Amino acid sequence: MTRHWFAVAALALVVLANGSPALAQDSLVVYSSVDEENAKKLLDAFTKATGIKVRFTFLSSGPAVARIEAEKNNPQADVWFGAPSENHVALKEKGLSQAYVSPNAKELAAKFKDPEGYWTSFYMNPLGFASNLNVLKQKNAEPPTSWADLLKPEFKAQVQTPSPQTSGTGYNMVAALVVIMGEEKAFEYLKQLNPSIQTYTQSGTAPSKAAAIGQAAVGIQFTPAFLQLMGEGYPLKVTFPKEGVGFEAPAISILKGAPHVEPAKKLIDWFITIPGQNALTDAKTYFFPVHAKAKLMEGLPAFDQIPTINYDAIWAGKEKKRLVDRWINEVLRAPK
Amino acid sequence: MASASFARWRVRSARELRQLRAEPLLGLAIAGIFGLLLIFILYPLVRVLTVSLFPEGGLTLRLYQEFLGSWFIRQALLNSVVMGVLTAIGGTLIGFLFAFTLTRTDIPGKSFLTLAAILPIISPPFVSALSIILLFGNNGLITRQLLGLQEFAIYGMRGLLLAQVFTFFPVAYLALRGVLESLGGTLEDAAMNLGATRWKAFTRVTLPLCLPGIASALLVLFIESIADFGNPLILGGSGFPVLSVQVYLQVTGMYDLPGGAALAVVLLIPSVLAFLLQRYWVSRKRYVTVTGKPTRAIIRAVSPGMQWVLFGLCMAVAAFVLLFYATILVGAFSRAWGADHSLTLRNFGYVFAVGAQAITDTLIIAVTSSPLAGILGMAIAFLVIRRRFPGRQALEFVSILNFAVPGTVIGIGYILAFNQRPLLLTGTAVILIANFLFRYIPVGIQSGMAVLRQIDPSIEEAATNLGATTQRTFRRITLPLLVPAFFSGLVFSFVRAMTAISAAIFLVSADWNLMTVQILSQTEAGRLGAAAAFSVLLILIILVAIGAIRLILGQLFDYRYQAAFG
Repeated sequence: MTRHWFAVAALALVVLANGSPALAQDSLVVYSSVDEENAKKLLDAFTKATGIKVRFTFLSSGPAVARIEAEKNNPQADVWFGAPSENHVALKEKGLSQAYVSPNAKELAAKFKDPEGYWTSFYMNPLGFASNLNVLKQKNAEPPTSWADLLKPEFKAQVQTPSPQTSGTGYNMVAALVVIMGEEKAFEYLKQLNPSIQTYTQSGTAPSKAAAIGQAAVGIQFTPAFLQLMGEGYPLKVTFPKEGVGFEAPAISILKGAPHVEPAKKLIDWFITIPGQNALTDAKTYFFPVHAKAKLMEGLPAFDQIPTINYDAIWAGKEKKRLVDRWINEVLRAPK
Repeated sequence: MASASFARWRVRSARELRQLRAEPLLGLAIAGIFGLLLIFILYPLVRVLTVSLFPEGGLTLRLYQEFLGSWFIRQALLNSVVMGVLTAIGGTLIGFLFAFTLTRTDIPGKSFLTLAAILPIISPPFVSALSIILLFGNNGLITRQLLGLQEFAIYGMRGLLLAQVFTFFPVAYLALRGVLESLGGTLEDAAMNLGATRWKAFTRVTLPLCLPGIASALLVLFIESIADFGNPLILGGSGFPVLSVQVYLQVTGMYDLPGGAALAVVLLIPSVLAFLLQRYWVSRKRYVTVTGKPTRAIIRAVSPGMQWVLFGLCMAVAAFVLLFYATILVGAFSRAWGADHSLTLRNFGYVFAVGAQAITDTLIIAVTSSPLAGILGMAIAFLVIRRRFPGRQALEFVSILNFAVPGTVIGIGYILAFNQRPLLLTGTAVILIANFLFRYIPVGIQSGMAVLRQIDPSIEEAATNLGATTQRTFRRITLPLLVPAFFSGLVFSFVRAMTAISAAIFLVSADWNLMTVQILSQTEAGRLGAAAAFSVLLILIILVAIGAIRLILGQLFDYRYQAAFG
């Protein structure tokens, strides 16, 4: 009987192993760091507009880079879709992507594209605070409107923010503070902030959930998940610190050795046209378009009302290791 | 000294090889298993190790020196070991409590308690941590509403330990239940007939005979706890770093594959030490209790008063388990989990619309990998304990390696190893199946070995003397005796194939996707209700599968254990 089982299983393995690659021939293969549902809507819109078939796999930004690197001898995907541009800077420096300057990219501001064309941003999101209104009422507190507000005693152990060590969002916050305050003052501030922090989360999207279910009074991260959670009915209010915040500009890179380069180029071309940008709004993604003339989703604050700073993703990428090490050694060890 | 023992080893190996020649099929099976373990466990790990030793092309220990010089990493290593030890002790205690109560008393509600003891093995990633926060967090149901505690710090050591013990005690329960069941109650009866008190019978008979099982449970829990990163990722935070999370972060946060690989190697050290320690401790004693002679015990090993104490303790843990799953269930049917609990079916509609493909893929992969893991596990346990051949210890050791390495590293190792011809497996279901199969056999092996150590070899020898081949003996005599261990091996590998994510996340593809990856995607995007609904489906599928496994094993082996699990 044992042998019988093995025979059946071996047969199944052969079938499973051979069943799939045949399908892969003529469609674009995408690693998407845009979440499953939004990626599906956006890529479906692309297929509808261009006739190019797309197959995608969801991967958060960290695992995506690790996987692309491990697969570099025989790339399994053509395109990395989504994840903030800093990650695409890292991909370029590792020599894992290839340059393509889309003719449509001239419509975009310089901060939304690599000068050599290794990556092109196709949407953006500001960093923000989300406060749980019920918890604020318990604490008798007002939603914070500045970085300084977070130091108030009522927020002691009530703020969640991602760790810069693990999360691109967390690093974005630290790097933006360095731009706003200067490096020494920024680290001084982060040390003072330590007692307010309930936990530095490992994932960039954990703070919004903690705020939503009332575990924390305030969560700090990029806004789409806040807006999504508010849409689901959670009692959150989004505010922005008046000193300024950073933003993310998720991008598309074509991978080095990609089996389908031509359709990959068309993907970039289309997503930065006005119809491609409007797809962000039609799909209710809560993402901000990067093209000035594209329409903005109802309920989103106008981007120029948000005090975003000029944030250089290339500089941030270069300084990452040093700033994160400094954060571990100074901020994590600061008194609670 | 060394050369003398080497010479002895050579003589012994030569003798063992000669014996193998008499049974070519056995030799073939051993060679086949060695081959598989070599390809699917050692080779990927060697690829990862190579990356950590040659980060820039030349051999260097620079990465190791850097890490051991960093206070943060040393702290993480210490935290990992402390957490592993505490989880192993706490989990084994609760596991033993349940296994003992369910096999040695006649309290009411046994099937409910059995369910409660297995259920937590199913912990859907990310959603479990949310459920724990909703129960024990700042605004938690238990901490704030029931106990009136303000600001209970769930992040850090305390919260993490709670979550780890809760998640892992069923593994200990499954292993110990098998052991206590094969032990029967006759020896305890005999001890008491000879005048021993109940306490003496327990401490001098039951407990010592359970030692191999307890040692296996401790080992498995320790190793799994320090390799696990789901709970620590969310509940540990940066304030309580553990090494498994640092491995993940080094690879996925700092994009430093060589560094992550080096950390994984460091993480292997405590696991390997624990393995050697356990081996040394267990191998010095004999534990045979199943002799083939008729056994029938009259249950009286526990006094009526004690029986109710045990009942109360089990019920308290069970209430906890129930609450935990009720929380997820509420989430799946609520508009906004944790905020607006008005009833809706919207989440399930969404799940079936978005995730139907992932559900079938997950099922195909779990249904393929777990029977293979179960049988391979029993076969390895049988070979290691009952047959003499060179490399026996190595076989067991290699089989447990994958279990001790954080999933992230295995995932990366699998890509490095299987992304080129002739072993081009990336993008197929095979790579996922192989990953689950070879990662989760150790639980089956360990339970199988614990049970086998109790079974007198003379039963099998009798079969062999009557002319049965190894294969026939294994199938007709050993396997039926092993059914409780086989059951735990099957259940465990099925559950993990459905719920594990850390390695799988590197191996899924557009053709083969998993429900766990869907849960991750949904929680990241902020659709908590959908994530909870996915989890409820996952739990339902697993419960149905456990029922089916029990039914099939009962049919196949016509086994009294049906009553025991019924």
